[in-house]
Amino acid sequence: MAYTPQFYPGNTSVGINRRKHMSGNIEKLRDVPEADVVTIMGHRAPGADYPSTHPPLKEIGEPKCPVRELVAPTSGAATGDRVRYNQFADSMYFAPSIPYWRSYWAAINCRGCDPGTLSGRQIIEARERDLEAYTKKLMDSEMTDVALCSMRGCTVHGHSLRLEENGMMFDMLARTEMGKDGNIYYVKDQVGIPLDKKANVGKPMSEAEAKKRTTIFRVDGVAFGGKTGARKFDEALEALHHMWEYRSKWGFRPE
Amino acid sequence: MVTKSDTEPVQVEIFPSRFLTPETAQRLLNEIYSGGGIVRIMIQGPNLPKTITYGPGKGTPIDENRDLLIELGGQAFELRVKVGRIRLELEGEEHLKGVQEACERALPFSFRIKRGRFFRDFSTITDYAKYGRNIEDRRLLGLVDPKAKKEKSLAVLSDEVNKSNEER
Repeated sequence: MAYTPQFYPGNTSVGINRRKHMSGNIEKLRDVPEADVVTIMGHRAPGADYPSTHPPLKEIGEPKCPVRELVAPTSGAATGDRVRYNQFADSMYFAPSIPYWRSYWAAINCRGCDPGTLSGRQIIEARERDLEAYTKKLMDSEMTDVALCSMRGCTVHGHSLRLEENGMMFDMLARTEMGKDGNIYYVKDQVGIPLDKKANVGKPMSEAEAKKRTTIFRVDGVAFGGKTGARKFDEALEALHHMWEYRSKWGFRPE
Repeated sequence: MVTKSDTEPVQVEIFPSRFLTPETAQRLLNEIYSGGGIVRIMIQGPNLPKTITYGPGKGTPIDENRDLLIELGGQAFELRVKVGRIRLELEGEEHLKGVQEACERALPFSFRIKRGRFFRDFSTITDYAKYGRNIEDRRLLGLVDPKAKKEKSLAVLSDEVNKSNEER
């Protein structure tokens, strides 16, 4: 019998969504053109050659190494691409993904990348062409709600702030805007430099839809624990309390 | 002329559940202002810079944050923050109901009104350094960031009925 990896426990919608994100079994909701993804990232012009930091691996000739023979390089590594980044901020108002789950998704499902988790944002570094593919996957999937998540290379704050009147996450640099047609447009790249042409990334989720797809436990959605809320006192919570208690009392010793 | 009230001034904070657009902020402030009884108003929220402050795009203008004008009490002033909360000092408790009703009329979403002390009534060392020993108008205390330029972040509105200060 083939082994099926097990991820996050729990039967709440949040538990199920967290499992989906970690396993990479995520639903595709939209199709953002590849050129738009590249433009929003802002590292190179769409259609331009990939600048490289070293010659292709085949040309430089690698030393004899059993690990190198076992592990095929990603296409970005094989061609010697630069390492570049994307960074997303997710609103705490029921954004589908949260920094830790973005990192779990990247670490488990994306080869050759370095995910970094911060309190309200998450960064992924990888070779340029690999990163572009990962970013497109993120932007197309249910891990992104275009109103509650946005690519922010700098001036990222917005995660823990109230939403704008139109339901979008606040952005000091105004990188995204809601068009009259109800679609969200990127008007600037991730560091705030205006784009020549607006990039349409589609319609935002309704509040109910965002609550259904979120991986955030919240007292006004699916509560993490306590006496009120939908979540039962399950095995994961018991294990967590057990660790918390032991950690508080004498440092973490899982016995 | 400042109207005299029989009761002590009260301070309240209006905390909307969403950030306000300049249009909604103007509508709300006008509703509050037209109700009368305002001693001072402070608007607070995240900064809206005119240019990108750091990163590869540093110095690039942010056109969306320019010319966000609000007209209140016959005076226009520029909004430099995203309106997140409004603190008011009212002449007396009798004006509280009017503020509540103004919020209900102007805000299309939920809000909270909290009563408390939001402006200090004593002079700190920073105030002393900025305004000197004899501060001309004590309503300035706690109203403006001491580092801010008064001309930029303070609007003085006055008419026959009342006189109030407006920050940002």
